[in-house]
Amino acid sequence: MFGPLSFSLAPQVAKSRSVYNLLKPISDWYAQASGYRQMGLKYDDLLLEERDDVQKAIGRLNERESYDRMYRFRVASQASVQHKDLPKEQWIKKEDDVRYLKPHVEEVWKEDMERAKWDSIQVQKK
Amino acid sequence: MLAARSAASKASRLSRSFATVVDAAGVKVAAADYGQPTSAVTVLVKAGSRYEPKPGVANVLKNFAFKATTSRSALGTVRESELYGGVLSSNLTREHLAVTAEFMRGDEEYFVDVLSTFVTSSKFTPWELSESVLPAVAEETRAASGDSATRAIELAHALAFRNGLGASLFAPSHPSVTIDDVKAFAAQTFGKGNVAVVGTGISQDKLAKLVEKHFASSASAESPSSSATKYHGGESRQGLHTDLQTAFIGFGTSGVPSPELAVLAGYLSPQPSVKWSQGTSPLSSALPVGTTAQTVYLPYSDASLFGVLVQASSVDGVKEGVKASVKALKDASTSVNPEGLQKAIAKAKFSAASIAENRDGLVASVASKLLSNSDVSLEAVQKSIDGVSASAFTKAVASLLKSKPTYVAVGDTNALPYADEIGM
Repeated sequence: MFGPLSFSLAPQVAKSRSVYNLLKPISDWYAQASGYRQMGLKYDDLLLEERDDVQKAIGRLNERESYDRMYRFRVASQASVQHKDLPKEQWIKKEDDVRYLKPHVEEVWKEDMERAKWDSIQVQKK
Repeated sequence: MLAARSAASKASRLSRSFATVVDAAGVKVAAADYGQPTSAVTVLVKAGSRYEPKPGVANVLKNFAFKATTSRSALGTVRESELYGGVLSSNLTREHLAVTAEFMRGDEEYFVDVLSTFVTSSKFTPWELSESVLPAVAEETRAASGDSATRAIELAHALAFRNGLGASLFAPSHPSVTIDDVKAFAAQTFGKGNVAVVGTGISQDKLAKLVEKHFASSASAESPSSSATKYHGGESRQGLHTDLQTAFIGFGTSGVPSPELAVLAGYLSPQPSVKWSQGTSPLSSALPVGTTAQTVYLPYSDASLFGVLVQASSVDGVKEGVKASVKALKDASTSVNPEGLQKAIAKAKFSAASIAENRDGLVASVASKLLSNSDVSLEAVQKSIDGVSASAFTKAVASLLKSKPTYVAVGDTNALPYADEIGM
């Protein structure tokens, strides 16, 4: 629930089949209505990147992923300058909007947590 | 008196017990317990630089030691080992990769687990490669490139053996090693039949049991292929701004290393037996003041490189030193005085024995023998050195000198002598 990036109820929702089925259409509609896909962005492009752990995670993307990320930013800023969305055929499709960065952020977060654990560990002699 | 005798007999029993190599779950295990207060366990893998498919892969794999495995992260390994007070290290030679843990007696369960997980379940994540491994590799390369002696020996290997043994221990300064190369090399070499475990300060049964438990999941691997080594020789010069001018003149042989070359190293070695004195070897009296020389004898499983490394602050000193070395070698190929040979044999025996006394030397001396199923006892080595006769010695030196020399000059390349100027 308390991940590295924000507070989220999604894991709890996903546990229950009926609640998930109830909320999924709403979440799909909400994601589409947010407008980032219309600018050629994926959801993980919106993650707050002015943080050490997210910066480290961005560094772990492979070459293709980080190139594509920069390319989407270029396209989106051009769309922003022109004050209009991309033509519809260039919108990011729902199935292409994958969480490419989140696993890396979580990995880095786990490492930071582990470091904190080792930094404050209480050793007991058996 | 009795106590002394029983101690002596115990010592001989222990040294014999080292020679027995047991098979634990397909992994060869050798251990010796001389009653040291600490233990050390080394996992040897036949993954030296001679087997690497691409320049630098072996060095990168070496620096991947103690990184994340499926059972613990790199940080966890370091912190937990610190809590136990152990020291972890990895070492690469041309033949083997050695991963070592030194620790207090009683902590073997944990440290054998750390060593075995590197072999059985390393994760080899791409970000560890870029975040921590490649910087370490680059730093090692940088440090080695500033040391003229290391550079000369590396160059000499490249000239002498070209491929295989000629591959450098260090990565190129801009290695093109990807994580897939490392994974492929590890998959090829990490496995039963290619791994041996050497322990000191730990009993053989205990180590064998631990190895059996921790390496049970290890897949079997075939011995990595490497074509039979051929000696080539040649000349090379490399510019380097240092205070020390360096030259190496050497010769190589292919085939199993012969004891004659070990004796030759002892015969020529100008290292004095007493501090602040001049040695009595034929080379030491001929060296100009301020010039240092050391004999380099590097035996490998199917070849050996013998030579003299000469260093001095002035180019003239190096020139004189190399000329003296060549002359001493030529003299040794025609005749040798019996007294000098006696001294050389004693020196070679002592250095073979004293190397086996410290941990690193012991591992290095049994490494090749462990993974090729031959006799690992010190007595056998001593006996072969003892058996060197004067005629066999001069014959061996003469046939060594017949091959094309390997000559390397590192330093001021404008002034350092060329191979045809040193009296070859």
